[in-house]
Amino acid sequence: MNPVLVLGGGPAGLSAAAELASLGAPALLVEKENYLGGNPKRWHYSLLAPDLKPAEEVLGELLRKVEGNPRVETRLETTVTQVEPAGKGFRVSLRTRETLETREVGACILATGFDHFDSRRKYEYGYGRYPDVLDFKELEGMIHDDRILRPSDGAVPKRIAWILCVGSRDLQVGNTWCCRMGCAVSIKQAVEIRQKHPEIDAYVYYMDIRTYGLWEDLYWKSMQQYGVKFIRGRIGQITMAEGGKRLVATGEDTILSRPTEVPFDMIVLASGMEPGHGTQEAAKLFHLPVGPEGFLTPKVADINPVDSGIPGLYLAGAATGPKAIPDSVTEGMGAALRAFQYARD
Amino acid sequence: MPIVEPSLVTVKREEKLELDGIDVSGDWNTFLEPRVHTDLDLKIVDWVRSQPQGETISRCWQCGTCTAGCCMHTDYGLEEFNPRYFIYLAQIGYEEELRKYAQTIWRCVSCNKCVERCPKGVKVEEVVHTIGTYLEVSGGAPESPADRFDRAYTENLLARGVLDEAALFRTYERLEGRKTPARDLLRLGFTMLLSGRLHTGPFAHRTRGWRRMRPVLTKILEEEERARRARVEAPASRARGGSPGRAP
Repeated sequence: MNPVLVLGGGPAGLSAAAELASLGAPALLVEKENYLGGNPKRWHYSLLAPDLKPAEEVLGELLRKVEGNPRVETRLETTVTQVEPAGKGFRVSLRTRETLETREVGACILATGFDHFDSRRKYEYGYGRYPDVLDFKELEGMIHDDRILRPSDGAVPKRIAWILCVGSRDLQVGNTWCCRMGCAVSIKQAVEIRQKHPEIDAYVYYMDIRTYGLWEDLYWKSMQQYGVKFIRGRIGQITMAEGGKRLVATGEDTILSRPTEVPFDMIVLASGMEPGHGTQEAAKLFHLPVGPEGFLTPKVADINPVDSGIPGLYLAGAATGPKAIPDSVTEGMGAALRAFQYARD
Repeated sequence: MPIVEPSLVTVKREEKLELDGIDVSGDWNTFLEPRVHTDLDLKIVDWVRSQPQGETISRCWQCGTCTAGCCMHTDYGLEEFNPRYFIYLAQIGYEEELRKYAQTIWRCVSCNKCVERCPKGVKVEEVVHTIGTYLEVSGGAPESPADRFDRAYTENLLARGVLDEAALFRTYERLEGRKTPARDLLRLGFTMLLSGRLHTGPFAHRTRGWRRMRPVLTKILEEEERARRARVEAPASRARGGSPGRAP
């Protein structure tokens, strides 16, 4: 049996490779970076919502199943540059910096994932210009190392604001969808900070809080147990005050129906999810249709969310839209099963 | 009597005022208060949370279920009685705005429909009363003309143990910063004097033993004031130092 190509080493890809191996099928796991673990690894995610389990623990479980598994062949710093049909499966060209190799695979799983929105595109928030305006993926690393300090002067911030939906639900940057994670992750970050540093005040500026399903519990706890404050209104711009020492968030408090200009020591932007660079490349490579948002689209999303519509080609994880890690892991398993069924006979 | 409401017609004379290089000296009588909310303060919400009846305040997410079913707001039609809004003002620490409702907040009749219906388990009735208590012990409502009259009345009464209507009127006018024209004063004075309701000058009443009574009364009033201050300051300082991670 030819191996099943799994493109992408994030949670969905790891889960697919691990599942294929457990079914007794060989898997060829290809990752463009020099590590496995995808975005959670890249940005040093701290605890994962909603159970507040360390990211290492969740990823570690998947990595253990893959690394050193004789049925999983892992290729790091490798990209697929060419694809053509070969029998029932595909013939793919794998390129590293030095080598180019052609392999025959029985089926393909695309787990190419997402990229965080580049907050610099929301120029009015001053990300990239003001050092104390952070992207929440950077704060995630700070929380991970428990060094909550202002980048500008290294002082401990007294008051932090989170701004939700940065690069999400926003026609101006062309991203009309909800990232699904921003609310939960921001609230989780606020909770983590309040747990460790109760002297820091935490405010979240929101339009809607979308901690969907059972994640709602996190939102409730954050108010009740950790005193995180929520202010309804989308911040319009961030400026500097007090001689460039403090940030001021300008917006409308829509509950007060009043303009608000409040100083903060640090402002964290909950940047949205966009189709990853790898996902865009994969769409071109396999001539796959993409939706209006740029994500890959399953043939029939509600009946089989992992089937691409091309025989032998399956989709998993955030390549088809913003997704939480548990959902990506589940889809990786589903895609592995479908690919196994296809490539088996 | 002419209506003289000083707060509406205060004229500010600017002898030398320049804005962006333009001379705008002269009489200014229209000042717009800025509407921008510029700070967030946890003082009130921390105090309310530190009280046993107020600890559910941080659960509130501003859905408005309480106000929708409120007897006072909806049934009785007292629009300015809005428990959701009181809670929000306390949460963001907007004391100046909240203080406008220091009187209204006590109009709650404790029907407890809000507590029954709140989807987040906020004990709205208790929380609103706790916010009212905070306002009460931390200085009450902004002084209204009625409050100033009360102050004039107390001052007047403490002087001789019995009311002197003419002195009361003079003190109140001073506190309000207004002046009634002499013609109107004379007419009012005569009418009251003739109907036996003005006891001033040679007709003033006296209270026997007032010189001994007065220090007792003054001391009681002072003690009450001290107790009031202690009540608001002590729990507030405790709340600031307390653990915010405490589960209610």
